[in-house]
Amino acid sequence: MTHFRNLVPNTLSYLWSGWGALASLLLFCAAWQLAAEYYGALVLPGPIEVMVQLQHLINNGTAVPELVISGRRTLYGLSLALVVGSLLGMLAGFSITTSMLARPLVTLLLGMPPIAWLVLAMLWFGLGDATPVFTVFVACLPIVFAGAMQGTRTLDNHLKAVAQVYRLPWHMRLTDIYLPHLASYLFPAWITALGTSWKVVVMAELLSTADGVGAALAVSRAQLDTATTLAWVIAVLGVLLATEYLVLEPIKRHVERWRVGVSQ
Amino acid sequence: MSALHIRNLQHKYALTEVLSQINLDLLAGETLALVGPSGCGKSTLLHIIAGLLTPTEALIENQFRGMACMFQEPRLLPWKTAEDNIGLGLKALNIPKQARRQQARDIATTLGLTLKDLDKYPHELSGGMQSRIALGRALIIKPNLLLLDEPFSALDIGLKLELYSLLRQHITERSTAVLMITHDLMEAVRLADRILMMVPEPGRLLGEFVITRPHSTRTDSWIYQKTAELMANEQVRIGFGLSAGNLALNQASHTHKQHVGCAL
Repeated sequence: MTHFRNLVPNTLSYLWSGWGALASLLLFCAAWQLAAEYYGALVLPGPIEVMVQLQHLINNGTAVPELVISGRRTLYGLSLALVVGSLLGMLAGFSITTSMLARPLVTLLLGMPPIAWLVLAMLWFGLGDATPVFTVFVACLPIVFAGAMQGTRTLDNHLKAVAQVYRLPWHMRLTDIYLPHLASYLFPAWITALGTSWKVVVMAELLSTADGVGAALAVSRAQLDTATTLAWVIAVLGVLLATEYLVLEPIKRHVERWRVGVSQ
Repeated sequence: MSALHIRNLQHKYALTEVLSQINLDLLAGETLALVGPSGCGKSTLLHIIAGLLTPTEALIENQFRGMACMFQEPRLLPWKTAEDNIGLGLKALNIPKQARRQQARDIATTLGLTLKDLDKYPHELSGGMQSRIALGRALIIKPNLLLLDEPFSALDIGLKLELYSLLRQHITERSTAVLMITHDLMEAVRLADRILMMVPEPGRLLGEFVITRPHSTRTDSWIYQKTAELMANEQVRIGFGLSAGNLALNQASHTHKQHVGCAL
């Protein structure tokens, strides 16, 4: 009951906190405008000019289809990484041996530059959808894996003892003990992975495909069109912000409402 | 009649022997207190009986069906409301949600919790409230054997006495067997039918004190007097390190021959 009663004020207070974010973004735009006036429109077009250009791209029907293509690739690669990384990370976390074996591998994979994966993917999969999807997957996998493993390893032994004494069946140990604890480690990892996935997909498209935001960026670069380039960047960042603050953050707040200070 | 029998229990952490030659019987409806200085292996013994540890060597016959345990800390699941924490053991027994809720509310009222408290998360409740919930979680599954690992040691004296009487009431109604750990002799005198004294290095049972006086007639002054008598006992004084001297170990325990492991 309380959950539903708290839902409306919580949502409103969350939306209200958006003003702070908006103020911070506008402050950034002001600095951008200042820099634009100093360097001139050819080097750095101002925010208004870029917004107009983005509006133009949306109106002439180029922006949305390209964003959908990139979004689809991100979604495939990211979802795959989230599912595989979370599951494998949890399994690795259950045993000390596998965690010890996995740790250097995670460091290795995190240190591997995505551009190197991209070159390999181009050799393996050619110039199609599979290349960006694979690159996103492989770049996000270690981030999610490490988060899930860390979460599973850090579960309080005291709570495990409670689960054992009260004879919780395995599925309850998972849903009532492990997953709620794991969530606080998984969500930050998922949000980092989301950011990485967009960066990587644009980079992969720039070099390997003929469509998507990355390919559009390659064209605007060839035409020395700074305004269009920045318009695409803004479009990608907009999608990123929307996914994080309209999808992931509300889910996180709902799942972690038991934490101190979150539900208030 | 259900009972717990332990013969020749020995436990080692690596090469250090922490429990040696433990022989113990606990019958239904009986309250047995294990007293001894810190580090004498009381908690280890309790964890072995709870099934959280496998002893190095032992013959254990446990006929008690339902078993519940209260730990030193409340150990509530932080992501569950008070009501769901109380009903945890019932959920493990596949009791439907509606019935769990009803039973949790019933037991909560006897423990002095309001319906409003039941909707709260553990971090929103005081230490005393958390202990009540932990007690509710243990009692709701109607255990035949209740293991208590100094659950009330951190509470103030008023709250402690209140929870003792709630506990005694449940024990008498259901003739639950209780094994409680304490380093407070007065607590043992107040609640137990038999007191077993333990000494460290390695953890052994020193001797037994039977308290025949019925629980209903144990007044405060009688408890103080009995505790003082126990404290004056030379073996108890040596056991707690209050007097120097040698302990006369219970020779009866040595009549059971220790098991000999398989030769390699």
